[in-house]
Amino acid sequence: MNPTCFHCSENIPDGTHLAARVGAHDHPVCCVGCRAAAEWIEGLGLASYYRLRSESAQTPVAQPDYSAWDRPELQRPHVREISDDRREVVILVEGLRCAACSWLIERALGTLPGVHEVSVNAPARRVRLLFDPVSARLPELLQALAKLGYVAHPLTADAVETLRQQESRKAMKRLAVAGLGTMQAMMYGVAIYAGVFNGIDDSVRDFFRWLSLLVAAPVVIYSAGPFFSGALKEWRMRHISMDTPIAIAIGSIYFASLISTLLRQGEVYFDSVSMLVFFLLLGRYFEMRSRHRSSDVVDALARLQPPIADRRTSSGWETIGVHELLVGDVVRIAAGATLPADGILISTHCRTDESLLSGESVARVRKAGDELIGGSIALDGPIEIEIRRVGSETLLAGIVRMITRAGSTRPRLASTADTQASRFVLRVLIAMVLTVVAWLWFDPSRALSSALAVLVVSCPCAFALAAPATLTRAVAVLARRGVLVVEADALEVLARADCFVFDKTGTLTHPDIDVAAITVHRGTCNDALAIAAALEDGCTHPLAASVRSAARGLEIPCVSERENARDGVSGIIGGTRRYLGSVAFVASRANVLRRDDADDALVLADMYGEIARIPLREKVDASATRIVAALQTQNLQCELLSGDHPGRVAAAADTVGISKWIATATPADKLARIDALHAQSRVVAMIGDGVNDAPVLAGADVAIAVGHGAALAHASSGILLADSGLDGILSAREIAIQTMLTLKRNLRWAIAYNLSAIPLASLGWVPPWLAAIGMSASSLMVVGHSLSIGRKSRRRAMQPDRIILETPVANS
Amino acid sequence: MNIILLLIPLSIVLLGLGIAAFFWAVDDAQFDDLDTPALMPLAEDDGACATMRESSAE
Repeated sequence: MNPTCFHCSENIPDGTHLAARVGAHDHPVCCVGCRAAAEWIEGLGLASYYRLRSESAQTPVAQPDYSAWDRPELQRPHVREISDDRREVVILVEGLRCAACSWLIERALGTLPGVHEVSVNAPARRVRLLFDPVSARLPELLQALAKLGYVAHPLTADAVETLRQQESRKAMKRLAVAGLGTMQAMMYGVAIYAGVFNGIDDSVRDFFRWLSLLVAAPVVIYSAGPFFSGALKEWRMRHISMDTPIAIAIGSIYFASLISTLLRQGEVYFDSVSMLVFFLLLGRYFEMRSRHRSSDVVDALARLQPPIADRRTSSGWETIGVHELLVGDVVRIAAGATLPADGILISTHCRTDESLLSGESVARVRKAGDELIGGSIALDGPIEIEIRRVGSETLLAGIVRMITRAGSTRPRLASTADTQASRFVLRVLIAMVLTVVAWLWFDPSRALSSALAVLVVSCPCAFALAAPATLTRAVAVLARRGVLVVEADALEVLARADCFVFDKTGTLTHPDIDVAAITVHRGTCNDALAIAAALEDGCTHPLAASVRSAARGLEIPCVSERENARDGVSGIIGGTRRYLGSVAFVASRANVLRRDDADDALVLADMYGEIARIPLREKVDASATRIVAALQTQNLQCELLSGDHPGRVAAAADTVGISKWIATATPADKLARIDALHAQSRVVAMIGDGVNDAPVLAGADVAIAVGHGAALAHASSGILLADSGLDGILSAREIAIQTMLTLKRNLRWAIAYNLSAIPLASLGWVPPWLAAIGMSASSLMVVGHSLSIGRKSRRRAMQPDRIILETPVANS
Repeated sequence: MNIILLLIPLSIVLLGLGIAAFFWAVDDAQFDDLDTPALMPLAEDDGACATMRESSAE
């Protein structure tokens, strides 16, 4: 086992002997970038970062050139002028992983001259800088962040005060007013109810009623504002849905209590109406929080677009901001850089990596006149393109818009629950009308008070709270265990899933080349590795990555006329075409090998014959066997789908204990298999690495991606096992099942409570104090019950067929 | 009993002040990041400690 880097915790490659001096000790590091970052942090006196952090740092990348950020045209949309010596810029910081990072950034940037203020928002990964444009220059500040190992992306000014932030702040204020108002109203309520039992002077009672009216007013007018404005909107559209019944209930309870106070007779329900508003808002607040969490995807895509571009002018090239680009401009893109906008290729040909946009990891070869997509990466270069679409018209902007919209839609469970709540309120309103009619027949004097009691004692908040509270709790519990739930709906499906399909490479096993066992036929081992790394340059397949890391530190030659196939690459190095790939690939191209060679090693060859053979070894993930066994004991079917050699797939399947496997499957074959499972009415959970399997993951009922970074950009995965590795699958399933059971019990409880309370209230047997206790107790039951998720791991073995979210209210 | 005629309006005024303070705190971004500030006292911060020591020495 290699030692790990002190700064970024990556394995240190063999043959690297670098050390950083931090705190009077030498610590091993993996590369020059990490050493520079660690020593700079030490030099600033901030070495306690290494003690405070809970996540390892990001490996510093090659220092990007930020000098273009000096141009005023480029700064204009990003930097806000507050006063003559104060400028504000908000930067999205890649690699900001834990609170210690924000501590480090605040300290390190705070020491720079001319920086007035640094504030870091770790959850949103944003840094806000106030600086003096004379003594501090923006490129220097960005450079400082890069030196710490963070990649900086200045955000445009309109992204500064995000809608998300405003929404969350407004919701917090409304919730606080409702909460404090409810507490006060309840206090006065207790005084009034005590008077019911012990006797109270009428004037004192009226005094407390007026006080309740006063404190409940901001709750109803300000906090419940969204319900009323929503109801108004629905009324204008002549369409009743969520808000109208709730607004009617809140409005009529408050208004009736107001009349009672003015006339000094009847009952008042100011405490109950405040409580109703508070619990309803609490449910919406929980749901908003879980919705906001998924916006990481948008950030990941926004990062794709570079802020600057090289434009051709009559006299040469100039660097401009992307927002200055016009249709018809010709821009130059360096090798490895990201395309700033959509355009047409002018250079003869190039390879582009569109994996983050399409999920396709194989590089695309483009010829002159082909259309290129902004956000994809030019692997060869420099190339020139003519811009065709800019700004919001680009494909990337469209994708971001689409995902933003998807992120702002509510989880299906939550909106189902909300519909249930408003349907329920509608039924309660009908029950209230029936009560009025019935009492007018028997005893008109009691009609109004009984009708009001029905309205108050019914508890729509238990319905409105049930789904958001349970989901929020489940997502939070899973996040603590390293499982990110991207779509809350994925939990519902996961609880029902009865067939788990695994991808092999990158999921159950991690392929690796066996450097020690390379057989070299010509030249040296290092030469062979350097050529192999050159051919694999820019490819995202895990094997290519391990070839590149094995060749780290070697001089990599240049490659021209590169060609990619499914199982190999070729290119011209030093005047000779070289081939790297599976035996079959090399045999079909170079005609130097026997086709029937059964070895599954990587072969490097040219027209004169084999140069080297790089054997592969495969490490089966340590936890895979345990997880498959655990799933199978719960009577869940496990399958292995892979595009790999049958021999290796069989070996891996045998090791982890999966009996059903399919080898040499193309993505289309994998999709077909999933469709076949669907046809057997199976609920399929697909576990893949999220990069090479994007289309297959999208085809499954619930997609679980194992991975980091790039995988986040794929909205096709509902659940992401970020830090937990495969172990997360079991926790996720356990929690998902618990969540669905809890939700079902919560809804049952709410129905039982209401069915028993409403008839009593319509008979006029429920006094206001009992209504207040009943309503708060039923809401607290729901919240308390939700909080029990993740605590009782004893109830692990639940039968999955019982856990189908029913909508009993809709049927009642 | 008449004291409640004074105390209760007083409590409502305090409530109003509390809500105003909370609104200010929300608008001042105090609730946007709840993780980082927890680490602040753990760090050996020379600058802040020095000013604190100075002020306590006075």
